[in-house]
Amino acid sequence: MNEQWSRAFAMLPDRLAAHLGVSAAALALAILIAVPLGMLAISRPAWKTALISTAGILQTIPALALLALFYPLLLLLGGLTQRFAGFGIPALGLLPSLLALSLYALLPLLRGGIDGLGSIPPEILDSADGIGMTRRQRLLQVELPIAAPIVMGGLRTAAVWTIGAATLATTVGQKSLGDLIFAGLQLEDWTLVVTGCLAAAGLAILVDSALANAETGLKERRINKGLSGLVLLTALVAGIIGWHLATRPSATQTAAIVVGAKNFSEQYILAELIADRLRAQGLPVTIRSGLGSAVAFRALAAGDIDVYVDYSGTLWDNVLGRKDIVPRSQMLATLRSELPTRAKVEVAASLGFENAYALAMKRTDATRLGITSLADLTAHASQLRLATDIEFQQRPEWASLQKTYGLKFKTLTAYTPTLMVRALGGGDADVITAFSSDGRIAADDLVLLTDPRGALPAYDALLLVGPHRPDLTAKLDNLQNAIPVEKMRQANWQADRDTDKQTPQQAAKWLAKQLK
Amino acid sequence: MATPAPMLEYADVSVRRGTATLLENITLAIPTGSFVALTGSSGAGKTTLLRLANRLVTADTGEVRVAGKNVAAGDPATLRRGIGYAIQGVGLFPHWTIAENVAAVPRLLGHTGLAARVAELLELVELPRDFAARYPRQLSGGQASRVGLARALAAKPPLLLLDEPFGALDPETRANLGDRLVALHREQNLTTLMVTHDLADALLRADRVIVLDKGRIVADAAPAGIVASDHPAVRALIASPLAQARRLADLLA
Repeated sequence: MNEQWSRAFAMLPDRLAAHLGVSAAALALAILIAVPLGMLAISRPAWKTALISTAGILQTIPALALLALFYPLLLLLGGLTQRFAGFGIPALGLLPSLLALSLYALLPLLRGGIDGLGSIPPEILDSADGIGMTRRQRLLQVELPIAAPIVMGGLRTAAVWTIGAATLATTVGQKSLGDLIFAGLQLEDWTLVVTGCLAAAGLAILVDSALANAETGLKERRINKGLSGLVLLTALVAGIIGWHLATRPSATQTAAIVVGAKNFSEQYILAELIADRLRAQGLPVTIRSGLGSAVAFRALAAGDIDVYVDYSGTLWDNVLGRKDIVPRSQMLATLRSELPTRAKVEVAASLGFENAYALAMKRTDATRLGITSLADLTAHASQLRLATDIEFQQRPEWASLQKTYGLKFKTLTAYTPTLMVRALGGGDADVITAFSSDGRIAADDLVLLTDPRGALPAYDALLLVGPHRPDLTAKLDNLQNAIPVEKMRQANWQADRDTDKQTPQQAAKWLAKQLK
Repeated sequence: MATPAPMLEYADVSVRRGTATLLENITLAIPTGSFVALTGSSGAGKTTLLRLANRLVTADTGEVRVAGKNVAAGDPATLRRGIGYAIQGVGLFPHWTIAENVAAVPRLLGHTGLAARVAELLELVELPRDFAARYPRQLSGGQASRVGLARALAAKPPLLLLDEPFGALDPETRANLGDRLVALHREQNLTTLMVTHDLADALLRADRVIVLDKGRIVADAAPAGIVASDHPAVRALIASPLAQARRLADLLA
């Protein structure tokens, strides 16, 4: 337990510094945009409604979606600049985070500014003009000080929102406190989640109270109070940067290889395994984890990451856009030939196991009913309840299963993965969808039903290498067929189980020892 | 001997807003030292005429001159710092102390050591000295109006523009402050132009009353002359205070 906490704590300084950096930069950018827009809105009332409602509409887009939208947008833009101006634009990491977060901060800033300056009584403006203040003097000496509480209120809201939403930047590959939260959620490591959330909340509260002090100081013109806010803010920033610098690994990692990982345990473990292999060959490596499934391949093709593991069925659908189901060997052969031509991505190795969709039952039930394959299930399905993960019923696999085996279940319910397993354990379901490399299969004594008619596509784990580091293929091809599915299951279980939970690093080290 | 230029002069001035004409062909001279009241019904153009003097409104045609100089030439902020200005809502800056409010214009002019001047000004408008440290929210309406007057006089302007300066005050405060204003006008050698919708106020305080109607001057005379005017707009203005005065006189008799 202590070890988990200290591991979570060790991740903090680096992520806190990155989090603060991206939040501050986004807020600064938002202010840079909001000030001229606010001025425009005040001098031309027709613009006010348009600006406020545009910012309002942006606000209704979930922050996560806004971040995800910027990825393809920047990718497209980068392609255009590459063609016409000869330079690219990074589509992953800081830039999309910065843009999405600053758009998100725009509404409270604009609203605070416009409402604040709009709330000043006309006789005050008239007397400021009448006694001979210039426009600038009126703005700085009269309007802004009077509007300050409302403007600062907007700034505080924007700051708190930005710090909160910055946790989501992890999904587009920007380092942030979200790294802890997302990793923790996937690994069901609550120490990581709690540490990440507390750190983000603490940061937001401290920044908010520092700004509140600055606001009171400004409003009541108490220099000390205003200064105390600034001092608190400066101390906070300096503290986090100092902590980060003090704990930073001393070796400068220039041109490190970036190993990517999607957001589930197996991916974290394999990324650690690959990283260890490369480090053993003396290469500098960093890991960028928590990538969204759709983002990962494009990140590889764009050179934002250099190597990661994906699955043949996923690539078949997402990259090649194919919905048909073909035999395993044919799918592999097609991917090996198509990926290099389409995206300059090489399949360096097929790791030797599948993480495929399958249906699973408790061994006791399967034995009692005499079911070993999907074909056996056909006769019993009308008496059985199926629990699936949330996306399964929308996937082609389900349509194919129904068509091939004529499956008609008594009930059909969608759950989150954890609840789905609980439903089986608690007797609320008889059959569940499962992934073939899931650690729970062995642990919970489940039987995976075989697929004699090939209704389900293959999901072979493939090691993919991006266009900038073709040399990695040779360095990693000894992973070809190196990982048996049983070993992958056990490694996954070490990271997923609740008792004696191992970190992905520990599970990767264990797995490495099992390989030939 | 050439006569000195009037303190304030309007030469064939018109002001338009869109298709509406707010003021039409106003020609008017206000000699140094006079106390002129501008009156008329709502929308007659009183405030517009006043605000032309410190260029808060600009003329579409014609020329406005202060102390012989065209107000349209030169910097408006500089012009305004040289003219006292007080308005109905007072418009004190809520985040500044009374002292800071009163000293606003001298400070804009770069003057320093203003504490003594603030004390002197508070005395002129009959407010206790310790008000200097207060904030506007701590004042009554009458006190705020006095501070507004002190602010307008702070840089010793030769011309004082007042727009309904006692508009929102109770009658007693209004009478006191009106008397004080007339005294200050004399003591400080001011030229005063005061907008008021209250004809009684105009007749009792000013030595010359100008009545506006629909953007034109319909009467311009000493108070006695205004009372004698038979212009319908003037008669309409006089009717209600006159009736009131007669009823009061009957009641007191």
